[in-house]
Amino acid sequence: MARAAAAPAQNLWAQGVLLLLIGLFCVFPFYWMVTTSLKTQVVALQSPPAWWFTPTLNNYREVLFVDGVGRSLVNSLIVAVCTTALAVVLGLPAAYALARFEFGGKRELWFWFITNRFVSPVVLAFPVFLISREIGLRDTHLALILMYLTFTLPIVIWICTDQFRSIPRELDEAALLEGCSQARIFWSICLPLAMPGVAVSAILSFIFSWNELLFAYILAPNAAKTAPAMAITFMEGYDVPFGKIMATSTLIVVPVLVFALLASRHLVRGLTMGAVK
Amino acid sequence: MTAAAETVPGAAAPAAPPPVLGRVRRRTVAAFLAPAVIALLAVGIVPLIYAVWRSLYDFNLTRVARTRFVGLDNYATVLTDPTFWAAMRRTAFLFVTAVPVQIALGLLIALLLHRPGLGMAKALTRLALVLPMATTYAVVGLLAQVTMNQRYGVFNQMLGWVGLGPVNILGNPQNAFWAVVFWDVWQWTPFVALVLLAGLSTVPPEVEEAARLETRSHWTILRHVQLPFLIPSLVAVLILRTADTLKLFDMVFTMTRGGPGNATEFIAILIERTGNRQFNIGMASAQAIVLLVITIVLARLYVRLFYRET
Amino acid sequence: MTRISWASALALGAALAMPAAAQEWSLEAAAEPYAGTQLDVLFLDRPGYAAALQMIPEFTERTGITVNVTTVPYENALGEQVRDFVAGGDLDIALIDLVWIGNFAENGWIVPITEFTENPDLVDPNLNLDDFFPLLLDAFGSWGGVTYGLPFDNYSGLLFYNRCMLEEAGFDRPPETWQEVMDTYGPALTKDGRYAFALQSKRNETQSADSFARFLWPFGGSFLDAEFRSNLLSPESQAGLQFRQDLMQFMPEGIVAWDHAETVNALAQGDVAMITEWSSFYFTLTNPDTSTIVDCLGVAPEPEGPAGRRPALGGFSLAVASQADEAERAAGWLLIQWLTSAENAERYLRLGGVPGRQAVYEIPGVAEEFAFVPALVESWQEGVPEFRPRFAEWPEITEIVQEHGTRMMLGEVSVEEGARLIGEQMEAVLEAAGYYDGTKPLVQ
Repeated sequence: MARAAAAPAQNLWAQGVLLLLIGLFCVFPFYWMVTTSLKTQVVALQSPPAWWFTPTLNNYREVLFVDGVGRSLVNSLIVAVCTTALAVVLGLPAAYALARFEFGGKRELWFWFITNRFVSPVVLAFPVFLISREIGLRDTHLALILMYLTFTLPIVIWICTDQFRSIPRELDEAALLEGCSQARIFWSICLPLAMPGVAVSAILSFIFSWNELLFAYILAPNAAKTAPAMAITFMEGYDVPFGKIMATSTLIVVPVLVFALLASRHLVRGLTMGAVK
Repeated sequence: MTAAAETVPGAAAPAAPPPVLGRVRRRTVAAFLAPAVIALLAVGIVPLIYAVWRSLYDFNLTRVARTRFVGLDNYATVLTDPTFWAAMRRTAFLFVTAVPVQIALGLLIALLLHRPGLGMAKALTRLALVLPMATTYAVVGLLAQVTMNQRYGVFNQMLGWVGLGPVNILGNPQNAFWAVVFWDVWQWTPFVALVLLAGLSTVPPEVEEAARLETRSHWTILRHVQLPFLIPSLVAVLILRTADTLKLFDMVFTMTRGGPGNATEFIAILIERTGNRQFNIGMASAQAIVLLVITIVLARLYVRLFYRET
Repeated sequence: MTRISWASALALGAALAMPAAAQEWSLEAAAEPYAGTQLDVLFLDRPGYAAALQMIPEFTERTGITVNVTTVPYENALGEQVRDFVAGGDLDIALIDLVWIGNFAENGWIVPITEFTENPDLVDPNLNLDDFFPLLLDAFGSWGGVTYGLPFDNYSGLLFYNRCMLEEAGFDRPPETWQEVMDTYGPALTKDGRYAFALQSKRNETQSADSFARFLWPFGGSFLDAEFRSNLLSPESQAGLQFRQDLMQFMPEGIVAWDHAETVNALAQGDVAMITEWSSFYFTLTNPDTSTIVDCLGVAPEPEGPAGRRPALGGFSLAVASQADEAERAAGWLLIQWLTSAENAERYLRLGGVPGRQAVYEIPGVAEEFAFVPALVESWQEGVPEFRPRFAEWPEITEIVQEHGTRMMLGEVSVEEGARLIGEQMEAVLEAAGYYDGTKPLVQ
């Protein structure tokens, strides 16, 4: 520490400048996204691009109320909230079992969960399309909610297993000696202590579901169409409305960025599924 | 496998197994696990079985009436299809170009953030780093289209300021590939940086301080003091980036759709095209199953590596 | 005997009564049983659809039939519809690009119009199918001699050019032949960072339709020969594809990534002197908001090749989907009939659509007001319906053409090698489909 404290001012300057550059690199595309969303098509098609112009909210008005992005945002919200809730309800007991119980096949089960993180949605998308049509789930929120479990459930299980392990075993051992059932120990003793992990996994599940495109694109063409699937409908080769595309992008991205910033302290742990603390 | 619990990463690995806690009635275990297992079976495994079944058929949505059983023909086609393997190679090439850059830049950023001082600036930078990795992947592709447009894009404007360009970015096969690398680096370098930063913070401060009294060389400290503590983070990065590269779809779909030519046709894009645009579900299923097998082999390999390292 | 004469008398009476009934036919009356029906249809984000969207409220008001329109990019339109029809989804009306008609018809996804034209309650006595350009009704709406759809959003390839740039370079007329483009217009107009020509060639249907096929036909080439074997290695086809390759020296770099938007915009901004594009872009190019060359715009038929003028042909018809229930079918037919009617043709044109009716272009003043009309009408006399084969296998074949067509342009494979690859893979598809063992008739 002594050396660092004595670090020459110019080093601090260099560090500061580098940090600033890194920050700008991360943030600039968002700046450009938001400003483009405030441009009319004529301004957006200026070459070289304009940095100063009179902003307009017309793109937002148009995409929200004419093009149906508003409805698709509601769809995204319904799907993301429901699948997150479902994943937490289904995943927590399993996480608890993985953290606390000994049983045969545990390792295989765990491996199966990790593989889900690897499997590309494109592997499942076509069979699921065919199945969804046969059981009448095509173009419904439910189809997406269920399919999003393929990645939200592993997230919840992984993060929460980790969280349950960090709770001292002495607590449940004591409860066990007092004659509490496993269900009660899980519900009344461990769950309250695991809430931070539950919150992180819920936020991550929400973000992943909100961002998903491929299932949404194939399974929900119309009534249940989500916002990312909506955004790509502006990419008609005929006339590319930059302003509207960026307005839609802004509307999609802002909620997840807010969530991500709220959970920023835990995001890394969550994204690495607890492998990094 | 009585040692199973200890081998699971992140396990607290208690020295002696607890006397009562671990042993519960099978019924209890089943009750806790059943909801998640049944759900994942329904949404994860049933479709896979369906895909395997479909992969044995010449099954095209535009001629469903002429569907017929062809056995392993689709697999024979996939395994000898140069387009499929070209897409696999391209995916691997993306991994070996983008990930080293992400690790190098990420390490640099992590070291910068690890240095003492400038608390406020570091806190703000850390917040900025969170943004790219939470961004909707599809939106990243749209951002690329807007900023990298040959004529209206701000990228070429900036290149112009330093006397370069204008470059035809998304219209030139090589450039389009590097554009994908660029945006992958933009989105995931912050993630790598934050993971490595977490690794750096596991170095005991007294060890690091002692080392700093020994040598002035940042490199020596990094190599001999910090690196051993970074290994788990690096392994985690490699595993997750492999998974994400194999899955990479949304960003490329909205940026180039695999073009120009097939310069950015990565494996997931190819499968989507086979199923969604050629409507050849039988073939797409076979491609997907081959991809799945490769994925599982890689995952197994990595898990082993992970065990050894932790 | 008496029976027979009674029957013929009845028939005669019915025939006589028809005109009387016809005079009483009205959209309102025909639609009455179907008021409240909702129709689901996919539209594209193109001028012809914007025009229709402005007309539909009147239809709803008069009939009580509501229309739920979902707008999708062209690139998704086929997939969304195929998946919807396979899944037994909601779509009541099919939007059919001419190259999809064989596919939709063979799968039984669309209903022949005779179901409606033989029903006096539904058919508008002024329907007059003969007023449609025969080429359009045949190519866009018919398959195997049966008519399913009515031409709705109609295109022909046209040469749009920047008259001012041509005049500056000393040309007082647009090129008549492709050879002229290559020999004189190309070199003279490619300078100072501006280019003579741009050919949209992106790897999607644009590559097959706008780029690849456009240089086959005028040179006497074609996709298939009479036996349905690949004709891409014939001297004519090769000459055309090689010509395209050579012409790239007069096109902007990266043309392989250009879609309609980039190409039209390049002309609109004065960066290129000539493009061959669909007629419907006339409205984009004459709109001062999107075009800086409104006063310089010229429109001509596409240049001729050694085999004559074979302009690109494309367009969409609307047909009733067979998955619709009875009320939706009737309501769907009424909408299609109304949108494409002779009565509405001029209005559709003025709103930015391109009707497929002949009479509207003969209205005095129309040809003068809409500069593309003479070239369009001329193109529709000589078009090739199988400009792109319209059989059910096209969606598979177009993917093959797109892949190797762009690789050819990028120089990753030679013209000959690329054509060979396409030919091989195309024949494999046709083989599997049963064209070579006689299971399927050779119709394209």
